[in-house]
This record gives sequence, C-alpha cells and structure tokens, in this order.
Amino acid sequence: MSYTAEAFQNEYLALGASEVNAIVTVTSSGGEGGRRSGGATEIIIVDASGSMQAEGRIGAARQAAKAAVECIDDGVRFAIIAGVSTAQQLFPAPGELAVASPQTRAAAAQAIDRLQANGGTAMGAWLLLAAQLFASRPGDIKHAILLTDGDNGERHGYLDSVLDQIKEQFVCDCRGVGASWKVAELRKIADRMLGTVDIVAKPMELTTSFQQMITAAMGKTAADVQLKVWTPVNSTVRFVKQVEPQVVDLTGKRVEDGPRAGRYPLGSWGQESRDYHLCIDVPAGSAGDEMLAARVHIMEGDTEHARCLVRAVWTDDSALSTRINRQVAHYTGQAELADAIQAGLAAREAGDDRTATIKFGRAAQLAHASGNKATEDLLAKVVEIEDAVTGTVRLKRKVAAEDEMALDTRSTKTVRVGRGQ
Amino acid sequence: MTLTTDCVSCADELAAGATFCESCGRRLAEPPPEEKTVEPADPKRKNCSRCGAESSVGDDGYCEECGMLAGRSRDHLEADGGAAGAAVSDRGRRHRRNEDAMWLAVGTNAADVVVSDGVSASFDPDAASDIAVRAAGELLACARHPDAPPPVAGDPDETVPLEDLERPPGAVGLAAAAAHAITGAAAAVASLAHTGDPRRAAANPACTIVAAAVRGPHVGYGWVGDSRIYWLGPDGPAEQLTEDDSWATHVIAMGADPVAAMNDPKAHAITAWLGADAGPVRPRVRSFTASEAGHLVLCSDGLWNYLPDPAEFGAVVRESLRATNSLLGAARALVAYANAAGGGDNITVALIPVPAAEAKPATDFDKTIPLDTTDA
Repeated sequence: MSYTAEAFQNEYLALGASEVNAIVTVTSSGGEGGRRSGGATEIIIVDASGSMQAEGRIGAARQAAKAAVECIDDGVRFAIIAGVSTAQQLFPAPGELAVASPQTRAAAAQAIDRLQANGGTAMGAWLLLAAQLFASRPGDIKHAILLTDGDNGERHGYLDSVLDQIKEQFVCDCRGVGASWKVAELRKIADRMLGTVDIVAKPMELTTSFQQMITAAMGKTAADVQLKVWTPVNSTVRFVKQVEPQVVDLTGKRVEDGPRAGRYPLGSWGQESRDYHLCIDVPAGSAGDEMLAARVHIMEGDTEHARCLVRAVWTDDSALSTRINRQVAHYTGQAELADAIQAGLAAREAGDDRTATIKFGRAAQLAHASGNKATEDLLAKVVEIEDAVTGTVRLKRKVAAEDEMALDTRSTKTVRVGRGQ
Repeated sequence: MTLTTDCVSCADELAAGATFCESCGRRLAEPPPEEKTVEPADPKRKNCSRCGAESSVGDDGYCEECGMLAGRSRDHLEADGGAAGAAVSDRGRRHRRNEDAMWLAVGTNAADVVVSDGVSASFDPDAASDIAVRAAGELLACARHPDAPPPVAGDPDETVPLEDLERPPGAVGLAAAAAHAITGAAAAVASLAHTGDPRRAAANPACTIVAAAVRGPHVGYGWVGDSRIYWLGPDGPAEQLTEDDSWATHVIAMGADPVAAMNDPKAHAITAWLGADAGPVRPRVRSFTASEAGHLVLCSDGLWNYLPDPAEFGAVVRESLRATNSLLGAARALVAYANAAGGGDNITVALIPVPAAEAKPATDFDKTIPLDTTDA
C-alpha cells in the first residue's frame, strides 16, 4: 500500500504566539489491485432481545444479516453472534470461525433463519465473545457490526470494563434500530472500537445499511495504521482529531513511542483519504526563528509509509501571521458545528430552550457557511431555520425521536474543504 | 580472605555475611546493572546551535531536541577576492532565510560582480536570486577589456573584427556585456516558473539584479529593480549610479514630493524585476571610465534602507574601509552596520576597487576566475 501525508497550515506565527495548527491529509492508494495482503475476519452481532419482535425488527434483522453474509468475500473468516442476556454463537460451531464460500454462506443463512427474539441485552458479553473469536486471528483485518434496539441491561460499569479490555482490538460499527436505544451508549462503543455509529430508523432500511458496512469493511486492505507524532522538547500536543470524514478526538488514545513521540490509532484502511487536525503548543520563538513543531509519520507496525512536517516560523510581518489557512479554518468550524449540535441537544433535553436555540442557531449558521448540506437538512428537522446566514432558528414543538437521534449520531459528519479555491 | 567486602554497585563497605547492601539496597548476589552504553554520537550530525544538544541535527535540518532549524547554508556567505574585491551576504535579523544572492569573480585588473534580491511575495525567491547571479556571472566573464589587443588570429572561438568597423571606445562594450548578462539571467529566472514545486507557477520566483563588469578603469553595469550601485570617489558623498525601478522613484520623477513619496507604503514596490511574469526585460545599462581611483559598492536594499543619504552612505563605507583595512573586513562591517540598525531585510554588499585611468596600462588581460563562495 502506498500512502501520502500532506500538511496544510499557515506556518507564520506572530511574535509571542505559541499555538501551531495544521491539517494533515492522509491518503492511501489501497492494496495492490485492491487486494488485502493478509486475512480478514468479520463478525456480525445481532440483538435478539425480546423487544426486537416489535415492528418486525427481528425479521428485518434476519434479512439484513443474510444480505451482509452474501457480501462477505470468499476466504474471509466470519461468525454470527446472537445477542441475548448472554452471547450465543449462532454460526458456525461455538468458538469457531467459518471460511466464506457458497456452502458456508448458505449454511449461515439457514442458521440466521433460526434466530428468535427472546432475551435481554448484554452488549459487554457480546463484544467480549467477539473479541475472543477475533483473538484466534492475529494480523487479520478485524471488523464487527453490532445491531441493537435497546439499552444495555448489564450491571452499571460492566460494559466500560469490557471496553477497557478490548479497546482498539477490532473495528466495530454500531447501528441502532428504532428510537429506544441510547446514542451515548453506542457512541461510546464506536469511539473505543474506532468505528461509526448511526441510526436505522426503519427496520426495512437495515439491509442497505448492513450491505454498506460489509462492502466498506471488505475494501479495507491494512489492519492497524497509526499516526506517529514527534514534537520538540517543551512542546505538548494539545489535540489530535480526525476531522474528515467525521470528527473523532484521538487525543486520549495516545500511546508513548520513544522520546517526545506518541502514536494514535487510525484503525483499518482501504483506498481512502482522511484529514486530521493537529494542535501543538510550542515555546514562542523570536523573529526569523523556524521550528519544527511536529514530524508526522504514517506507521504500520515498524514500517513508515509517509511523513510530513508541521513547522512554525515567527515573524513580525502581520500580513503573513494573520493569514488564515483555509483547511484549518474550515475544520475548526466543522468541529465547532458538532459541538454546537451536541450542546443544543443537551440543553433541549435539560429543558433549557434558550441555550438550545442559541446553540442550534450557531450550528445552522456553521453548517450553511461551510456547505454541510447534510447536517443542515438534519437540523431543519429539529428546528425551524428562519435565516441560516444569521443563525436565526426556532425550536420545533414536536420533534420525532428518530430525527433527534439522527442529528445526534450524524452531527460529527463533516464535509471536505474545496481545495485550490 | 577478608571479612568485609564492597558492594559492587555503590562501593559501600559491607558487613560480613550481609545479603543486601545497606547503602543502595541491591542484592549482593546480583551483578551490578550494566552501564547503559551511550550511543556514540553520529559524527556526521551537527550540534544544535540553539539548544546546544550534541549531534542532534536530523536529516531534515531540524534539531531532534528543540526542533529549531539548524541554520541554512545561505544564512551568511562571504567571498574574498583579496585586493580585487569582496562580497558578503547575510540573512539579517528579521527574515527566516537569505533570499539575496551574490557573485564575485576576480582576475588581474578585472572583476565581475552581481547582486540579486529575491522578491519575497513570490514563491521560492531564493531560487530566483541564486540562478540569476550564476547566469549573469558566467556571462559577464566573456566581457573583454576595452584596451586589450585584438584576439590572436587563428583562435577558432574568436571572431575577427572587420577592418572598417571600429570597436566602441572605452567602456561602452562593457555596458553591452552587462546587458547581455542580465538578459541571460532574466531567461534563467523565467524558466523556474515551470520547474520544481507546482506553486511556482502561481507566484513565479522573481528577483532584482545589479551586475557590473570592471576591466581596469573601465566599468560597465546594468540593473533591474531596486538593488543599487554606488561610486565612492576619494572624497565627497557617494554617487548612486543606478535609479531604482521602484514606485517612489517613478512618482518622484513625475514630480511628486520626494519625502512624501519615500514615506508612502508603496515606496518600495518595484516596477521592474526578473521573473516569468515580468514581460520582456529591458535592463538599464551604463558605462564609464574612472578618472580617479575609487570603489564600486553594490548592495541590496537591506543596506541602503539604513543609509538613504548619499553623504552618510559614503561616510560609513569610508569609515568601514579605514577601520578594517581590507575589503572583506569592510564588507563585513557594512553588514554588521545594517544588522545593528535592525537587520530588517537580507543584506548583501560587494566592494570593488577601480583604479584611475591614468594608471599604467595593464599588461595581463586574463579572463576572470569565479571565486568559491565560502559558508562562514
């Protein structure tokens, strides 16, 4: 796989300034001919709790799981877990992984037809079983889908302890069907497992959602890519965030790697491009000084795939230091947009309509200004946008729970800044 | 056999039969911890001049400890032609790199000198000034001494002048050589826009140029932009031989108030330059033959900005020559003067002595030899 890393920044800082910002765009060409160099393992976890009987969810889930199995490439190892009060392996035999082929896919479909909805919700146990199955395949690209429709029924703190144990061991995309599950709960899992979270409001949409996730997972050709950041002495990394395709704060996931360097996990990669925002505090220099504020490496194990430099140059020429870098400004705005939506939702839930109106107004303004049409449309289902330019909005009296949850889960979705404009 | 022994780790004296050292707590049966061998410093790596860390400068030029750029080779350059000329170029105190460039070649009774100042608003102006001085300097080397005998017949590289055509008198031929050199430099700079970094195409590398060929008492020179040549005679103020291609000079020529024009923010905007967007470059060239001995002073605006008054300029150059007793010393002193005054821009200065025409005609008309530029 070949990677490129490119830094976009205004390296000129005013005298006394000590904050360095840069957007690093990492692009991968994918594997040779789109092929994986190693193996891959896929695990599908389907909630089979009693509530799944409502609205024909279990039937839709069965159909979606079967469609997902059809999308698994030949030779990829896979398993299906039925989620009840414990974790039960539905296919193949407990503790084993099947190798995808026309025969095993047909056998899996038969097993899925036997899936019945009767039991509780125990996400910690489900994830733990998935982790145990994945553990037999070191070096594989590991991906799981978790589908649920309700709250976790395990004792408080158990899920957190499981996540601490298995974090970043595999990528887990979480989907909630209906409106009675908790966004915060699935977001926590997705965040720790470097995956995504989204709502599937109608059961009939499950099949498309599963197919998309499996297709994306099959396109991954590298399992465990990391961003290594070196900073000079007396400097600190204030934050490292993925800002495109969605906002993910990686700051807390740092693992030290030698003097003045740390690694941040980027999960599995196919042919794709992602943007990261680095913010570094450095000691201020004097006019004419040039400092290397960070050296950024794209790593896979001990192999360095690409690197780029984030620099700081101090100048008393304000024409240079006040120039705003388009990329940095755009993604700073996208991160603020996500924060404004989260704050607006929290205020609304707390009954603080005044704060909610202000936050949603700011969000509408940011979404409109940055051309983030998808987020603006989601906002329009929760508030009446009277004037997006000034950020004038009114709260809607009645809002569908699904619309609010969609806004919540998708608030971190960003749009890429137009380059070269 | 002794009843006491010493701890191998901390050399404290031990009681007989002791299992642990009372001082450092290490178990006596254990061998002392191996001293971590310090990696021998990579001799190829430079020490950091900013934080003092040894062998810490990495391949990309930044210190692995403090991150500071360990200095560029162009930050301070000197060329010493002994009594025939000297030139110094310096980053100054405010700019992060030196975008000025210089060329000095000396021979017996001959010197070629070029100074160029990169236009900061363009991309890679340091590349522009660098290629400009090289191209112009190499072309100037072809300039012939006006008093030299005609070339030896039979040299296949030389043209034979037609009998009826007279060679231009005195230094006029040197002006043509300066024009030729600057035109060649312009083509070289313009070619940069389509090489290397793609950003060069959007803001093509650009620079000023001032070039002079000195052959005995004859001087031919030319310029584009606001780098200058002064003539410093035995006494009196320095005489500015060039007229800046700048907004201020233009409006003053049109009748504007000189003080108001020089204080205008646009004063230093140049109206002519070398670069792909400059259009056809028409260097202004002149020549003269010195009637009394003196010095040519070529400099970028990094120096003359601090000495706008010709009388003061002359006084400071004379004082530098007197105090240091060498051309290189004087050039260094002038750079130091500009740095002491603020060093707001890159500073380049070249000093070339010119003998008076009454001086005994030279006997040796050797071609000039480029001097190695040393990184000091």
